[in-house]
Amino acid sequence: MPQQANQPLPAGYVLNGYRIEKPLSSGGFSIVYLARDESGTPFAIKEYLPSSLALRSDGVEVSIADEANLSVFRHGLKCFFEEGRALAMISHPNVVRVENFFRANETCYMVMQYVRGRTLQFHIQRHRHEFTEPFIRRIFIHLMNGLREVHASKLLHLDIKPANIFISMEGRPVLLDFGAARITLSEEAMKLKPMYTAGFAAPEHYRFKPGELGPWSDIYSVGATIYTCIAGTPPQAGDQREEKDHMIPLRTLARQDYSDDLYQLVDDCLAVDYMKRPQTAYELQRRLMSEPGVEKRGFLETINRPLSKLFSR
Amino acid sequence: MRFTIFQDSRLGDRKGNEDRVGYSYSRDVLLMVIADGMGGHEQGEVAAEIAVTEITRRFQQEARNRLRRPFEFLVSSIQAAHRAIVSHAVEHNLLECPRTTCVACIVQNGRAFWAHAGDSRLYVLRQGALIAATQDHSKVQQMIDAGEITPEAAARHPDRNKIYSCLGGVVPPLIDTGRDIGLEVGDTIVLSTDGFWTQIPANILGGMVRKQSVLDLLPGLLTEAQRRAQGESDNLSVVAMTWENQDDARLPDTQALDDQQFATSTNTTAQLDSAAPAADDVTDEDIERAIAEIQSAIRKVPR
Repeated sequence: MPQQANQPLPAGYVLNGYRIEKPLSSGGFSIVYLARDESGTPFAIKEYLPSSLALRSDGVEVSIADEANLSVFRHGLKCFFEEGRALAMISHPNVVRVENFFRANETCYMVMQYVRGRTLQFHIQRHRHEFTEPFIRRIFIHLMNGLREVHASKLLHLDIKPANIFISMEGRPVLLDFGAARITLSEEAMKLKPMYTAGFAAPEHYRFKPGELGPWSDIYSVGATIYTCIAGTPPQAGDQREEKDHMIPLRTLARQDYSDDLYQLVDDCLAVDYMKRPQTAYELQRRLMSEPGVEKRGFLETINRPLSKLFSR
Repeated sequence: MRFTIFQDSRLGDRKGNEDRVGYSYSRDVLLMVIADGMGGHEQGEVAAEIAVTEITRRFQQEARNRLRRPFEFLVSSIQAAHRAIVSHAVEHNLLECPRTTCVACIVQNGRAFWAHAGDSRLYVLRQGALIAATQDHSKVQQMIDAGEITPEAAARHPDRNKIYSCLGGVVPPLIDTGRDIGLEVGDTIVLSTDGFWTQIPANILGGMVRKQSVLDLLPGLLTEAQRRAQGESDNLSVVAMTWENQDDARLPDTQALDDQQFATSTNTTAQLDSAAPAADDVTDEDIERAIAEIQSAIRKVPR
């Protein structure tokens, strides 16, 4: 069967009481729609639809492109459940909230809180000049609260990048799209290609040896995300860096002054050797908090450090 | 649905029966399945037993009303049976994984769907003629297809028992699906193992099925097949179903069953400790359970 793009559900289609307005995004595993319930409250609904396995060329029901893939499709569904289950257990302002989960059209749907705002990617493209060190630190310190919660739930995000970080209208970062979030050991699951975004995925992610993946893999992606905030482009892809590291030093790409400490921190997060990175979100968060993020510190500011620390929280 | 069904499995001239047969039906769906455990391998009987048990179990789980996608059901349940056999071998530290052929057929909405792996066969007979059949996954069939030998020579070929697709093998089974066929009154679907089909040619079977009910015909034909093997008969098994006039009120109708009730008959011995589904398998029930769990987690966590 030829590979075809999956058709999104049509606008106006009523799915289990939610009226579909439009697709917001689509990825290798899913399509996310904006939808409203009867009272008009907006939600983001994610539809499990791995494009390599399932197909919807017309109508609303999903069919499996190759019959032999049914069990793999179902296995992927299990991963989708793991994502839903993990997210359902997390209630944190910096992690997208799951509101409902159901089955329809031969596949499954996850209803999430709809956050008004823009992705970090949008802000990087439009307002990079506003990415001062204090702003970057504040965003990522908050984001690490969410990531700590994710890791505490024994889940890895595995696809942290500017497009998956939402900045709400109030300036709160929210971690989205746990579509890649999974660790599976079985052979069947390997058929579901590990999802990665070049530039943001850690080198070990390309190998997809589950034993090597850990919180440090997400830390790499956070490092790459901060790098992008400053440089405007992501660093060289992890797999290439492993062969020959041509990553452009961040300092040469920066358009404004940042502290040596921040450059060093990004560099540490982006270590090719995962043992050399900050190992946990907590460790990274502490380091983000430990420097006030003022360009050039005078003697007096050094004295005030403990106070600044309080402010930066 | 109105149909006449017959099944039997005979020892032949062997010491043990490694064939397993079964059928199960609800008001609207019928499953027929046959598996021939492989003698050259340890516990071929166990493999056939697991295949029939697992496929029947999944059928009863998923075909509560009708199967939405019969071919997908057939393929995924044959794959699941394969994994269950492999798991059994792992759990029991068997040196060699037991193997079996398998052919399974679904009838619903007046249509027949089937899938197979190996050299157990399915025939669709209409007015005495063979209108559809499975193609054996066997070495001799490949040779026939390549024009190297004639079907007659195949019956005597030393490699006639060699097959290249089975459940329980090192590689997952190659599963072929048949096209679905709309059934006409009098059509007969016959599933059989090689102990039977090597002795009774399809055209003879077709001619006889036309004149006699499967219930009257097949017991004698099984005896005849064994006799023809001249003291060297393999196990022989048949499941046969004739599609009847759906409006003939004299014939039993599956609508007499209660909703979601199944009538089932197999020659499985239920000696297995359990035909547990393979660990990485996701059934409809698993899906429902996962959704229920997620929903309960959503309710529990304060928002």
